Amino acid sequence: MSRYLAGRIGQAIPVLFGVTLITFLLTHIALGDPVRAMMGQRADPEVMARIRTEYGLDKPVWDRYTLYMAKVLVGDLGYSYRQDRPVTDVVAERLPATVRLAVAAMLVAMVLGLAAGTVAAMRHNTLWDLCMMILSLLGISTPVFWLGMMLILFFAVWLGWFPISGYGDGAFRHLVLPALTLGALQAGYIARMTRSALLEVLRQEYIRTARAKGLREGVVILKHGLRNGILPVLTLAGIGLGDLLVGAPLTETVFGWPGLGRLLVAAVGNRDLPVVMGATLLFALIYLGANLLVDLGYALVDPRVRLLKR
Amino acid sequence: MKRCFLLVGLPLLATALIGAGNLPRRGGAYHYTLGPSDPPSLDPVHITDTVSHAVVSELFDGLVAFDHTLKIRPAIARRWVISTDGRTYTFELRPDVKFHNGRTVTADDFRFSFEHLLNPETRSERTWILEKLLGARKFMAGKATSVRGIHVRGPHTLELTLERPFVPFLALLAYPAASVVPREAVKRWGRQFSSHPIGTGPFRFREWHHDDRVVVEANRDYFQGSPYLDQIVFRVIPDAMTRFQEFKAGNLDHTDIPTGLFRVIQNDPSLSSMLAARSSMGINAIQFNLEKSPFRGNRRLRQAFNYAVDKTAIAQVILEGRVLPARSVLPPGLLGHDPKLHGYPHDKEKARRLLAEAGYEGGRGLPAVTLYYNTGLVNRKIAEFVQGTLRDIGVMIALRELDWPAYLNLLDRGEAQLFRLGWLADYPDPENFLTVLFHSRNVGSKGNLSRYANPRVDALLDRADESLDTSERARLYHEAEKIILADAPWIFLHYYSTDVLIQPWVKGLREQISAMDSAPTLGMVRMRTVWLDK
Repeated sequence: MSRYLAGRIGQAIPVLFGVTLITFLLTHIALGDPVRAMMGQRADPEVMARIRTEYGLDKPVWDRYTLYMAKVLVGDLGYSYRQDRPVTDVVAERLPATVRLAVAAMLVAMVLGLAAGTVAAMRHNTLWDLCMMILSLLGISTPVFWLGMMLILFFAVWLGWFPISGYGDGAFRHLVLPALTLGALQAGYIARMTRSALLEVLRQEYIRTARAKGLREGVVILKHGLRNGILPVLTLAGIGLGDLLVGAPLTETVFGWPGLGRLLVAAVGNRDLPVVMGATLLFALIYLGANLLVDLGYALVDPRVRLLKR
Repeated sequence: MKRCFLLVGLPLLATALIGAGNLPRRGGAYHYTLGPSDPPSLDPVHITDTVSHAVVSELFDGLVAFDHTLKIRPAIARRWVISTDGRTYTFELRPDVKFHNGRTVTADDFRFSFEHLLNPETRSERTWILEKLLGARKFMAGKATSVRGIHVRGPHTLELTLERPFVPFLALLAYPAASVVPREAVKRWGRQFSSHPIGTGPFRFREWHHDDRVVVEANRDYFQGSPYLDQIVFRVIPDAMTRFQEFKAGNLDHTDIPTGLFRVIQNDPSLSSMLAARSSMGINAIQFNLEKSPFRGNRRLRQAFNYAVDKTAIAQVILEGRVLPARSVLPPGLLGHDPKLHGYPHDKEKARRLLAEAGYEGGRGLPAVTLYYNTGLVNRKIAEFVQGTLRDIGVMIALRELDWPAYLNLLDRGEAQLFRLGWLADYPDPENFLTVLFHSRNVGSKGNLSRYANPRVDALLDRADESLDTSERARLYHEAEKIILADAPWIFLHYYSTDVLIQPWVKGLREQISAMDSAPTLGMVRMRTVWLDK
């Protein structure tokens, strides 16, 4: 196990290096001059030139990259141009809100998605199946912006059950509507994947055997069906969690949630290159971590998968 | 006895009751929306936007400030004297002003604050506020260790000398970047002073949860008197519709109006009573690049474009009647504004005739023209409308949308032929419009992005900027504006407006909204005198 983990971490290093190189080149070449964005509409060229020199933006891109990497290797992600604070602080303070929302949304997605997918598979080609698939399609295709606003109108404005927006220091009441909005999309994907995986499994001989043994249908589905059919769902959920952890700018915008998605979008808009770089590096780490967790999850769920034998 | 009570007692009681209702109440938290974005900085030297301005103006003070009529009033400076040549300003400071850390403010603190702003290591984006001080440019270039134009004449006497007379100088000193900051806190926190702001203002900083809220609490020792409110919670709510819902639920004490809802609000008896709308000192325009073909040297072509565009329709339909169509450069309320100027009223026939005289009859032979605009729903609607109206006279133009930083870079490089750009007053003076936007020395990023250059206009503006006689200045600016208008370097679209919804229990806010405010930030409003009747 530890050898496997060490190997995976070893593989991650060139990936992270590649991410920094590509992101650095893209941000510094494609996004253009960050100083102009800071100055506002009226800007003195002499002052801009001085600020560029102060930030080292007058140096060639390659020099800037080597300087940047030298700092990254000692854990210094630089200073935000816009906020004049260390990028590590800027990114770290968004993490709790992002993790809280991502985990809550994934819980919503797993509960709703697995339930809908299972019901659809068990009642294959019935009205139940049709309804579940229509609902999952709605989850996938409904614009997050619209769904969020509808949930606000119904549950916050009319019923008054939840606050309209804001983080509220992470209080549960503030989390419910953003998690439902964000979870609906993932729930749709998980429901469809669960249905197709279960249908595949339910045709297997061992399911027929289980039923022939007189096991209750619930046990057949949960113990023999879902456990064998959950691997592709797990993969989807793992990647989905990665997506959720790197932020959901639209949901965060509707609910005023201070997450990483909004941070990155704003940083690109403001040409805050150190924050763009820092956030992208973190996102790469999150994706690598999510993929690793999925692989570890395989071994837990499916005894046929043994990590040490890889 | 009974009769006596009815005659005397009842009116007294009624007066007392009504009076009690009108008396300001202390206490409560004001829920203030900053709109979509987190303040980039709470350090005065880095303020370039209205969001930061709204918070910083409650935390800091300068020598002088604007009142709601945009007249300069004393702040930390109790009084001041301007020399007869208009170059030297001597300020007498109040001796009772204290920073939030308890230390008394002296004239030396202003010297430190001003030199801190101009110091290249500070990397301030707002050095132009003080660059007119004698020796400021030398100091900024690192050729002097201090600014010659700043003299501390005593613990509470400060003398500022300019290179040359500049009448709006006092207005510049009312800008947040010219606030006083405590040397010890700036030295201690360095670049992170923005996260630990200490000023002299009516509110002191408490906490900042980025992209969520900034909380400030009353400074009970404020030199102009304690605020009525206990605290202000500045909330960051990115989506305009969410802000509107929060306002309707009573969770925000004022808010802006989402695009497309102005008429709905006007027709709603309840919401319309909460509406506060006024014109503001700003103008939106489509600018020609006068160094690029086909607009370079072709005034008739520019005039044809001007006559072709129906500004009234833009104001009434796209902007729902919120704004006034522009007839000149200077917006109403500004020195030199002339209501008799008519600009370019919509006249298709005249546009067609001028187009033909310009050498492009029916649009034939006109090179390809692209209208650039920065991302925004209203900007897109206006651009599409202009495209449609120009098509009516035979002119086909393409549209291109860019985000703000890329857009500014493009304009700086002078690569756009035709582009939308607005201007909001930094200070209420015609110099801030005419000189900044049309003087040839400001071509490029300094403000004159249409690259307009007319020696006659330059000469008039130079004389006006240095004149100490208000009526003479007004006359000179007016003369320059008439020439600019005739040269048609812009399509003058509309003046801006500030529209907000204010809860009925909020007192003292509505009457303070000035022509330099913008929604929802209302950065010019002094929250010290606002109170909640609930």
